[in-house]
Amino acid sequence: MSEQKNQTSTATVVKCMSCDYNVEREYRDGDYVMKVEGTCPKDGGKLYIAGIYMKEVRRK
Amino acid sequence: MSLFTLATAAAQGSTSALLSTYIPFIVLMLFYVILFLPGVGQRFQSYFITKDIEQRLLVLEKYANEAKGTTERLLKEKGAKDPKGLTERLAEIFVIDPVSVEPTDIISRMRLLMRSGQNKVKDMIKLSVPKADPVTVSKIEVSAEITNALNMVYKVVRHYLLQAKKLNNFYLLFQLQMVVPMLVKIAESYDKAHKTFVEGKPVGDSLGPMVASRFLLNSEKKWQVSDETIAGETYYEGRRLIVVKAEGPMATVGTPGEAVEKVVEENKGRVKRIITVDAALKLEGEKTGSIAEGTGVAMGDPGPEKIAIERVAVRYGIPIDALIVKMGMDEAIIEMRKEIYDAVDPVVEMTKQIIKERTEEGDTVVIVGVGNTSGVAQ
Ligand SMILES: [Zn+2]
Repeated sequence: MSEQKNQTSTATVVKCMSCDYNVEREYRDGDYVMKVEGTCPKDGGKLYIAGIYMKEVRRK
Repeated sequence: MSLFTLATAAAQGSTSALLSTYIPFIVLMLFYVILFLPGVGQRFQSYFITKDIEQRLLVLEKYANEAKGTTERLLKEKGAKDPKGLTERLAEIFVIDPVSVEPTDIISRMRLLMRSGQNKVKDMIKLSVPKADPVTVSKIEVSAEITNALNMVYKVVRHYLLQAKKLNNFYLLFQLQMVVPMLVKIAESYDKAHKTFVEGKPVGDSLGPMVASRFLLNSEKKWQVSDETIAGETYYEGRRLIVVKAEGPMATVGTPGEAVEKVVEENKGRVKRIITVDAALKLEGEKTGSIAEGTGVAMGDPGPEKIAIERVAVRYGIPIDALIVKMGMDEAIIEMRKEIYDAVDPVVEMTKQIIKERTEEGDTVVIVGVGNTSGVAQ
């Protein structure tokens, strides 16, 4: 079969509670939305997980 | 003598030539005659249909067995004594519908049956893995639910196939052949959903709780309002917001109806609006993640939770708004897609817009994030 299969990966979006810092990384076990983790490199505010979603990575 | 031989040979030659020319036609004619004999064509067709259904039944069986394997593994990991036996029991558990020919108090009967059904499953799991944390218990619960559903689909299809074969019922086979591909598709998405829930990731249906969690980000006051359901207080542009969602990151839908009823009663009905946010089934052709606004309780509940909100709203004359994000049936239960995640912030903005336009400073507004809160805390 020559149909393209889509491989998926999960992304975690981390945001800062006090500024617009916003970074996307690979999903890790134990991640959940609203989990507070670490401090913001920009202003030292608390970082939280704002979202977890599925990304589609096309491959042949 | 020689003349006779010659004649025979000539005759033979012409007969064989004749035969070799017409045999294919005769065979073909015979074939058609047989095929058009009453029942023969049908026999052929049902043979192929049966083969087709049997093939798909194997797929359904595979899904059911894999689901059982997953539930068993989860139980085993947490040290259950008899994971296989418990999985079998959970795969066969059922809830009987309440009597509907006498509709009086059907909602309370339905709620009682549904809740005791759920509690029974939860208690069975807790009893077998007493040391597991609530999140793990909820994962096993959902896993058992999916196993139960896949087991049921497999058994029902098998039942109709065997019955059709036994009764030689061509039309039953025909109907079965029409629905089985759809059932396989559903089973396939259940199978995918199973993995997502076990990993504890948000699903498409977690959109409502995710929107609610955005409002709860700066909330100081949060409390458990009803079974597996959280309420939190926060302020926006001078309005007091009470945000209700299922208790995450467990894989549960909670009891949002009871929660809203309690919140409104506690405030003696002084609530200006109730805004419900939920994932909704899209029509084929609609875009995943598109947002729509409407009126009424946006909730995919069979009845008891939804009616609780409607009743309390009627009691105090509170308008109910609905905000929905559209997605396919499979997308609602598998890992949240980016298109759906991208709708979260616009929905939050729309909710704020509704609050600004339809309420005044000093009002109290109830926001309900409806859906399964798998992987979404508060
Ligand atoms: Zn920051």
